[in-house]
Amino acid sequence: MTGPIIQIENVHKYFGHVHALAGVSMEVNVGEVVVILGPSGSGKSTLLRCINHLEDHDSGNVEVDGIQLKSAADINAVRREVGMVFQSFNLFGHLTVMDNLTLAQRIVRRRPTEEAKDTALSLLEKVGISAKADAYPNELSGGQQQRVAIARALAMNPKIMLFDEPTSALDPEMIKEVLDVMLALAQEGMTMVVVSHEMGFARAAADRCIFMDEGQIVEQGPPDKLFSNPEKDRTKAFLSKVLQA
Amino acid sequence: MAPTGRSLRPGRKDKKATPADGDMVPIGEGVGDPHDVPVGYKLDPWWWLLIGVAGLIIFLILWRSDPYWDILVFVKDGLVVTIILTVCSFVLILIVGLLGGLGRIAKNHIVYMIASLYVEIVRGIPLLVQLIWWYFAAPVVIQAIGGALHIAPLAEYRANAIFLAIIGLVFCYGAYMSEIFRAGIQSIHKGQMEAARSLGMNYFQAMRYVILPQAFKVVLPPVGNEFIMLLKDTSLVSVVAVADLTRRGREFMAVHFNPIEVWTLVALLYLVLTLLAARLIAKLERDRGVRSAS
Repeated sequence: MTGPIIQIENVHKYFGHVHALAGVSMEVNVGEVVVILGPSGSGKSTLLRCINHLEDHDSGNVEVDGIQLKSAADINAVRREVGMVFQSFNLFGHLTVMDNLTLAQRIVRRRPTEEAKDTALSLLEKVGISAKADAYPNELSGGQQQRVAIARALAMNPKIMLFDEPTSALDPEMIKEVLDVMLALAQEGMTMVVVSHEMGFARAAADRCIFMDEGQIVEQGPPDKLFSNPEKDRTKAFLSKVLQA
Repeated sequence: MAPTGRSLRPGRKDKKATPADGDMVPIGEGVGDPHDVPVGYKLDPWWWLLIGVAGLIIFLILWRSDPYWDILVFVKDGLVVTIILTVCSFVLILIVGLLGGLGRIAKNHIVYMIASLYVEIVRGIPLLVQLIWWYFAAPVVIQAIGGALHIAPLAEYRANAIFLAIIGLVFCYGAYMSEIFRAGIQSIHKGQMEAARSLGMNYFQAMRYVILPQAFKVVLPPVGNEFIMLLKDTSLVSVVAVADLTRRGREFMAVHFNPIEVWTLVALLYLVLTLLAARLIAKLERDRGVRSAS
């Protein structure tokens, strides 16, 4: 298909009196890697969650893979094409790693158990954790859990992957193992939207960076340009703090 | 009935409320602890208690078979009725509780209101009064409706004591169980639901495969607690013409005038039942609850 796979037009979202998204428009093309950054409360996670309709936007249009989310007859049909990775992993605690990866494949994609297992195993190998297939999530480190979560989302063969601060809950020494997996994914041509403050990842993988503040997109561009030569003062102020850290 | 209202929050505290699982049985304390001493390592106190109670019953029967053996033979039917009543009601209570619990967290306002109204009304009326209402008032209401609408089977409705007792117990305990299930479901982090939905599962798939299996472990202790309370509260149906253990005891006493013997034996029989139930629940908790609690 041609044209953007994600199309967001003038989206507004309120939480009570808080104007979380104040007229956001953006597009993401197939194979593009977009990194969204901004201070906490700037609406970046909310924007991400609007893409798979975990949040219902109040006005505007969100179109994913040609389907308007507002009028989608079956939102689950959209969601199974859009993988999501959460800050807090959200692995299913009562299931083994293998079952975490095969559950949705079986009941949503209706794959036979053997096929689901094969897919799961090859993905676990890909994220370097196949030895832990029979472990329970609480027996894994944070970095391992997040890699399993990425594999779980990939097992559905999504067209788009969303990452909501995937490394924010991790100890520093585990961040790299997760970023490496994401980097490999980006190089394979996966369409990715990533909310993250990992500048190294943004530089290495992002085609485009978006800076958000107070529910609006302040500035966007290629990472090198945005980081070294931002146009807006608000972006400069934010970047100076983040890059110092 | 009073303690039931307090068992809304899943937790160890609730277990302490039942006499059958008090200080004598420290099993509950070890639940969920993977480093628990393996069972069978030593005879735990629960066995001594059961052996003691069972031994006392046998001793009484051997010591004075008149009246103890006669009482046991006489109330035996009642014992069966009590067990059947408890098990049948409990299965239905679990279903009502699950529906009520889902209703209490429903986004649909009407469903939520109905579920909340049900819980609030039922919790405000004593179980005994509810049972009496179902037995004495409900049939009259049914007959009146049947008469007004000219529906013969309803107009000629005759009260079936056991059926109405089960209805009464299920209606009342279903409300408490709804609150337990609601609390259990809400105790599961909302990220679990989001993760399930983001994988394309619909609401019911997410509930069935992700939320409820985890909530089940959380609610097991309070649900077990309810089971034991229900077992004891079935004695209330004796006032609405159900020939349960308590009513059979009263019938025996009315003929033979020996309250001490009758009520001692009846009490011991209830104690044996609750001890067995507590043990079953503790075993369930150990089997299902220990692993993968995250």
